[in-house]
Amino acid sequence: MIAMRTYSWLLTLAVATLLTACGGDPPAQDTLNVDSAQDSAMKAERMKKTKNIFYNIPSPMETAALLKKTGAAYNGKILNDVKNVDTYTSASQQALNLGVYGADLSYASVFNHTQESMFYTSCSRKLADRLSVTSAFNDSTLELMQSKMNDRDALLDIISETYWSVDAYLKDNDRDNISALMIAGGWVEGLYIATQISTTNDSPELRQRIAEQKLSLNDLISLIDSYSVEDPRLEGVKVDLADLQKLFADVSSTTGGATATEENGVTVVGSTGTAASLSDDQLAAIREKTSSIRNSYIN
Amino acid sequence: MLNVRTTFAKTLMVAAFLAGTTVVSAQCRSFAKNKCVPDLAPFKFNESFNAAQLSPGEEAEVNLTFYSGQEYRVMVCAHPILGEVNWKLVDANNKIVFESLADNPKHTFDLKAASTVQMKVVVWVPGDSKGDMVHVGCVAIMMGFKE
Repeated sequence: MIAMRTYSWLLTLAVATLLTACGGDPPAQDTLNVDSAQDSAMKAERMKKTKNIFYNIPSPMETAALLKKTGAAYNGKILNDVKNVDTYTSASQQALNLGVYGADLSYASVFNHTQESMFYTSCSRKLADRLSVTSAFNDSTLELMQSKMNDRDALLDIISETYWSVDAYLKDNDRDNISALMIAGGWVEGLYIATQISTTNDSPELRQRIAEQKLSLNDLISLIDSYSVEDPRLEGVKVDLADLQKLFADVSSTTGGATATEENGVTVVGSTGTAASLSDDQLAAIREKTSSIRNSYIN
Repeated sequence: MLNVRTTFAKTLMVAAFLAGTTVVSAQCRSFAKNKCVPDLAPFKFNESFNAAQLSPGEEAEVNLTFYSGQEYRVMVCAHPILGEVNWKLVDANNKIVFESLADNPKHTFDLKAASTVQMKVVVWVPGDSKGDMVHVGCVAIMMGFKE
């Protein structure tokens, strides 16, 4: 009886959502009329999952912008070679390197290296095409970016929107593993760029930003763990991130509470903890491990 | 024969349910993109999409990292069918830094981070779904930053 009731409301819900899907362009939400038995079952089901938890990973663009603010210089030589793009034949390699090239694209664009931006756009477009994400990243996106080559802000907005659209397309099509690989590839490349720059442009600000990646690494691992997909490559990435997490374990980072004050009409929020920092040994170990992981992704 | 028919019916229901879930998720993204992201301006959207279909009594939360020296806009955007929602920004000790309640709603909160800090946005939809109608609507938690 309970099973029948469950199927009954499942069927009602399925038919309702399918009708919504077939009906052109309906509003995003509807009011659903259900009878009291179905209502109880539905409420009981929803009560089981009342809390939705999300994990916010800094985008490649945000990471590049933070890097620029530290006063770091641009170094195009450390980025993934555009010639590598044709060597990525498996979907997992393509997804990881879509993230890698996406991070390179953001780095080049934020530092206003337009020509390199177009190269990395082309690489990202190729990989998106091979992953069948053309509805989110196609020739018209490419043309739009080319037309805005000399308008940095507009170009950054298009890149941001494209990254979001690709990720959304993957998630909406039940390709969470591909999305997770792309996000992980982009995050690793961002850390790789920052740690490589530290060899020539070391500064307390840059070290602090690298140390703070401990926070986003924890969120990234939680995000990947939240996906219920079985993918051997993703399992391998989890191992890589866990190795990095061990190196970050002893890094001091701000984990205290927050204080809020008002300054000239703006709320200024600070932490009661101490600023994150890295010792020479910690930085060297993180740099070496990140380089090893990143090179295994691009080669 | 009956077993085959039952199995087929179950498979069809599950497939239809999954297809429906995907459509609803896509609609939620479309709502956030068209109705919420524009209100982040002049801040740049950080490209992290945190949204869920919620009904009265349900809750969602997301951890956010605010980096020192940066300016941010935190925004909670709910579909009108839900009415106004409650939300708060709390620190690691669950101390409230900012709160917006449904009877005096604020959809955005701008802040400058003097030092790097992790905080959590918690959103909850008022009410408890009593009555014959079940309202389900998209709620998006978004963050923008100034370059």
